[in-house]
Amino acid sequence: MKKTIIYSLLFTIATAFTTHSGGIYKTNTGNINFYSHTPVEDITADNHKVKTAFSAENGKIQFSCLIKDFEFKKALMQEHFNENYMESTTYPKATFDGTISSISTIDLGKDGTYTSTVVGKLTIKDVTKDVTTLGTFTVKNGLVNAKATFNLNPYDYNVSIPKMVAPKISDSIKISIDIDYTHQH
Amino acid sequence: MRKITILSISFIVLGILLFVYRMFNKPHTDVLNTKATVEMTAIELFTYFDTNEDSATIKYSDQIIVVSGVLHSKDLSNELEPQILIKTNEDDGFIRCGFKPKPEYLNNINSLKESSTIKVKGICKGLNGDDDLELLSDKDVVLSSSILIE
Repeated sequence: MKKTIIYSLLFTIATAFTTHSGGIYKTNTGNINFYSHTPVEDITADNHKVKTAFSAENGKIQFSCLIKDFEFKKALMQEHFNENYMESTTYPKATFDGTISSISTIDLGKDGTYTSTVVGKLTIKDVTKDVTTLGTFTVKNGLVNAKATFNLNPYDYNVSIPKMVAPKISDSIKISIDIDYTHQH
Repeated sequence: MRKITILSISFIVLGILLFVYRMFNKPHTDVLNTKATVEMTAIELFTYFDTNEDSATIKYSDQIIVVSGVLHSKDLSNELEPQILIKTNEDDGFIRCGFKPKPEYLNNINSLKESSTIKVKGICKGLNGDDDLELLSDKDVVLSSSILIE
């Protein structure tokens, strides 16, 4: 009996220190880039303070980022983006609530690269749309890097673009996500 | 007379072109050399946003704010934007200050001691975190382009 307890304790301790297969993985410093390409102009902006987490148990994955925190190369573009198109004082956040479909196939306790479909609902300007993309999850030394890209049409999210500048803004904006998650608990 | 007219029109056109060029290429807000709109404690700023996010967003977002408080931690996990967290009166609420990835800013951050009282100036971007997202219920009031004052 005593031996069993000791073995159980040793197993629990060993498991705790060697794998992080359960719990929540999180960061507040994720990267999201968007890129609009047209023959007239390329526009790109970055946000480096994306709050995101996923559950290793059920694959739930969530994002929240501040629209005003996207930084453009040109200040005037940033101003127009926030004031005229995104109305970011009224709609300050973009959120995503979804699931990593194949979370059970990702071994978070073993270094390697895994892929999984990520499905969920993206909300921008109070408009919620279904989004499906392929995520690449790279596990290394207990950290998880996640990368994904998908395209969205700004008109689907009630982003109104004046006719005069419409030729400068693509109707298929590329969103690139690059996140380093750490194990929380 | 005709020469004067042509010259005048040329100057006006040139002036308009220069104005448009300068507007199009206007620089980002220079936090260091711009006077802050308001100065307050981290607890005050967080409480404003936590109590009424909509009203606080209208009042403080895009404003240059000086925030004072106790350093909770340094977050250097993203080399593109080193960050620090200032404590508030909530266990899961912070002021998150992002800095440009310049060596001098990084040196300043590295020299900070945890639990020391600091003063940061930055552009307020709003409150990140969402009660409807159970994994992201902790909240940060976000400052960008921050500089350490004390």
